[in-house]
Amino acid sequence: MQSTSIVERDGAPLPTRGEQVTFDDSASQASATGQDGQLQREFVERWRQNGYNCFSSGHKFCREVCPVTQVTRNENHTPTAFHANIIAMDKGLLDIEDVADDYVHCTQCGACEIRCPNTLFVGDFYQARTETVKVVRAARALMVDRGLDREGWRLWNRLTNELKNEPVLGVENGQPNGQDHVRDWAAGLQIPIGGETIMFVDCEAAFYRTSNTRATALVLQHAGFEFGLMNEQWCCGGPAAEMGYVEQSRAFAEHNLADWRASGVKRVIAIEPHDYIHFTEDYPAYFGADFDIEVVQILELVADLIKNGRLKLETPINKTVTYHDPCRLNKRKGIHEAPRFILNSIPGLIFKDVDHVTQWSYCSGGGGGLPIEKPEITEAISDTRVARAKELGVDMLVSACVWSERPLATAGHKAGIEVADLIELVAESAGIEIGGHRGASDLEAAR
Amino acid sequence: MTTAPAMTVDEAVVTELEAIMNEPGSVLTGISSRANRARVPAPFPVHRWAEHMPAVVVLPRTAQQVSEIIKLANRVNIPVVPRAGGTGLNDGAVPLRGGILVDVKRMNQIHEIDLADRTVTVGPGINMLKLNEELKRYGVFYPDTPASYPCSLVGGRIACSGWSLLGSRFGHTRDLVVSFEIVLPTGEIIRVGDGGGKKVRKSSTGYHLKHLFMGHQGTLGIVTEATLELVPRPEAEFAAFFAFDDFRNAHRTVHGIVTSGIATLAGTVLFDEKKIEYLRRDDEAFIPMPPWVNSIVATALYGTKPEVREASKLLMDLGRKEGGRYTGDEMAVGDWASRHDRYANPLHGRLKDGTVAPMSWHCEDASLTWSVIPKVREEWTAITQSYIDKYGIFDNWGMYCYTNAAYKPWGDYLVEIDIGIWEERLNDETWAGWVELKSEIAKVALKYGGSITACHGSTRAGDAELVPEEMGGGWDVMLKIKRALDPNNIMNPGKQMLDQAYES
Repeated sequence: MQSTSIVERDGAPLPTRGEQVTFDDSASQASATGQDGQLQREFVERWRQNGYNCFSSGHKFCREVCPVTQVTRNENHTPTAFHANIIAMDKGLLDIEDVADDYVHCTQCGACEIRCPNTLFVGDFYQARTETVKVVRAARALMVDRGLDREGWRLWNRLTNELKNEPVLGVENGQPNGQDHVRDWAAGLQIPIGGETIMFVDCEAAFYRTSNTRATALVLQHAGFEFGLMNEQWCCGGPAAEMGYVEQSRAFAEHNLADWRASGVKRVIAIEPHDYIHFTEDYPAYFGADFDIEVVQILELVADLIKNGRLKLETPINKTVTYHDPCRLNKRKGIHEAPRFILNSIPGLIFKDVDHVTQWSYCSGGGGGLPIEKPEITEAISDTRVARAKELGVDMLVSACVWSERPLATAGHKAGIEVADLIELVAESAGIEIGGHRGASDLEAAR
Repeated sequence: MTTAPAMTVDEAVVTELEAIMNEPGSVLTGISSRANRARVPAPFPVHRWAEHMPAVVVLPRTAQQVSEIIKLANRVNIPVVPRAGGTGLNDGAVPLRGGILVDVKRMNQIHEIDLADRTVTVGPGINMLKLNEELKRYGVFYPDTPASYPCSLVGGRIACSGWSLLGSRFGHTRDLVVSFEIVLPTGEIIRVGDGGGKKVRKSSTGYHLKHLFMGHQGTLGIVTEATLELVPRPEAEFAAFFAFDDFRNAHRTVHGIVTSGIATLAGTVLFDEKKIEYLRRDDEAFIPMPPWVNSIVATALYGTKPEVREASKLLMDLGRKEGGRYTGDEMAVGDWASRHDRYANPLHGRLKDGTVAPMSWHCEDASLTWSVIPKVREEWTAITQSYIDKYGIFDNWGMYCYTNAAYKPWGDYLVEIDIGIWEERLNDETWAGWVELKSEIAKVALKYGGSITACHGSTRAGDAELVPEEMGGGWDVMLKIKRALDPNNIMNPGKQMLDQAYES
């Protein structure tokens, strides 16, 4: 068979047959010299030991719980590969450029970390819990530093930087994105600005699924819980951090913290799980001990309001539902009891639960910037999630993460299942008229 | 004659593969795709990673595609290496001569659930835990439960002829796979069973080809579909652990339990003194044991409630008969429930001075009869210690002995010694030391009339050289079969001394 020209497929030049392939350092670093090479070495140095803790095992318990791998069935996209790549970079076999597309294949749901035998059994003892989400974020940050970031993410974050909020309504002209419209959802609700406690409104909730945001504000007002809104609400900066734009993320965090301080905020209610992660993990990492803001997760707050009688759920909702554990609450923060308590407090509701450990392998596909770069994978993940709900014979899939609700509602429409937010149901059961619009749920219903 | 390594392939071959696959992203030539399919959890010579990379990776969905890939490989004389979960503890899925790596993970469909005749037919890329999640609603399960239950795939289980923790009650992989479809090394697609019927468990027609291809380690083809046993989900489970201050009493207790006639006994596990020492020292999840404990016998029963209720009383008596003490419900329930997660936990070991070092776990397995276990234990422990002393990168994590026979708990045992290896420190010298250690351990198994592997396979250096000795006159038959079925030595070449088939 004749050798012909070298071709290029999935990113790497293909050597011709008979050509000896060598993987010494000089070959690998051909594309990573100077400053680029230094950045990669720093990345490898920082994450090498964590990577080796996985590599030395190599058992891949994470594979079958990974929502992306369940769809692609490609070993490149497994958490095991994300760690092995670091060892391979250390050995001079790989450059970040070779694996840049692989690291896009992650929703940062955290299932792999909690399914890892290292975390489950010996992680604490050796202080060596497997950290995969941070590895993916660091790899993406390296991609940004090296100019290898993906086009869709680059545009998204550029627009976010310009608008100060994410362009969740699309990038066409005339969409009511950005600071001029960040409080449109609150029309008529008379929520004050500032105060000790503020409700932080996620971009998707502020612009896209405003029913979620209105329901949350109305429920808190109904229970007599005092809160305000921040003065100049920018994006939390979390999505930028997830996609590797660390400096932008930090700049947004600095703005928000300064805004809170200026109006005497002591407590922030996170109505959205991604924000909750960002406020409880990234902000403390950015600001250290200076970050003295209490962060309250909305489901835990609402569960408390029900428990202490300040919120009465008396309007029956005669539906059969199941609950989607949002990854960032369940897998990353261990919050799975409060939503179940709330669902069980709604009269008339038949709640068919799937335990939170089984749901380690469930996801909507809506996180980690995946829908921007790989919408077809997000769609497949959501289709699978909704199919699992449908098998239970329910009318409705209830989530508590506004970012999951767009892909799930789209999948739900195809499968004939309604998708709702838990706080929207709470409002309905408390006899509150919500208003606002429900994003994809409305769009799909109108079709 | 050996198949020449193919560390790279021509563009024309890639183009042909793409035509066969006809799906974007299913023919992968990038370095990340190849580097991430070079190893399995078995000790890996990290310093020689590049030598184990395939030239190209394909992700087929059908047997027809696999067949055409293999025919192409024969035509252009390129090795083919199948890979399912890549979780093996031998190197069946590790390419030794590059070539085309056929990754079957996309063949993970459930084709048919037949509740009338109690079978489920699946692709080789499905995981047993995932399969059982689907089967649960029908009140049945597929009881192939190795330690790698959450991650290994059906195709790899067949290729390794796997062992199941519940095998003494429900059978092992070879018993639980009723029949399977395999693409031969020359590309023909055939189905093999005990006889011919896809769902027939027992037949006297022809040679029993299922058993020929079971455990083939990728050297005789690629499995593309399997019809598996469906077993009623047990109504009751009862686990009990007994602690001993003397290994000999624990060893005798195992014998008493397995020969008692308890039909619901799924198996027994015997932990030796080094294992207890290791668990106490380095496993934070291990439930603390009093200092006098130096061995443990773990047991479990599965069946209907009345069966298990009665048998559990007998089991509790038998467990205590030789001085065993019941360890309490916490361990019985908790440790047994976490048995799959436990297997991958020893990710760190100790150097001679007690320092913690990140280590890869390797389990050296053998099949040995009950009566020789104490002698083998002594010799294995001494051999391992001598290599720990000499090389300073190994650690002894002790032994487990599991019941190994199918549908009956007596006779032979899967005996394993778990060895930690500081993989980062491997170089040519220490790797050679490791291979020598493996070989010495395997030779002890042969000396005592055992088999050098119960379930991992014998493809790796250190074991492979001893296969002709273990097989005796059968080795020649193996060589004839290999050459007849794989005339060009395409399938997974370089494994298990099978190159000898082509020396003439």
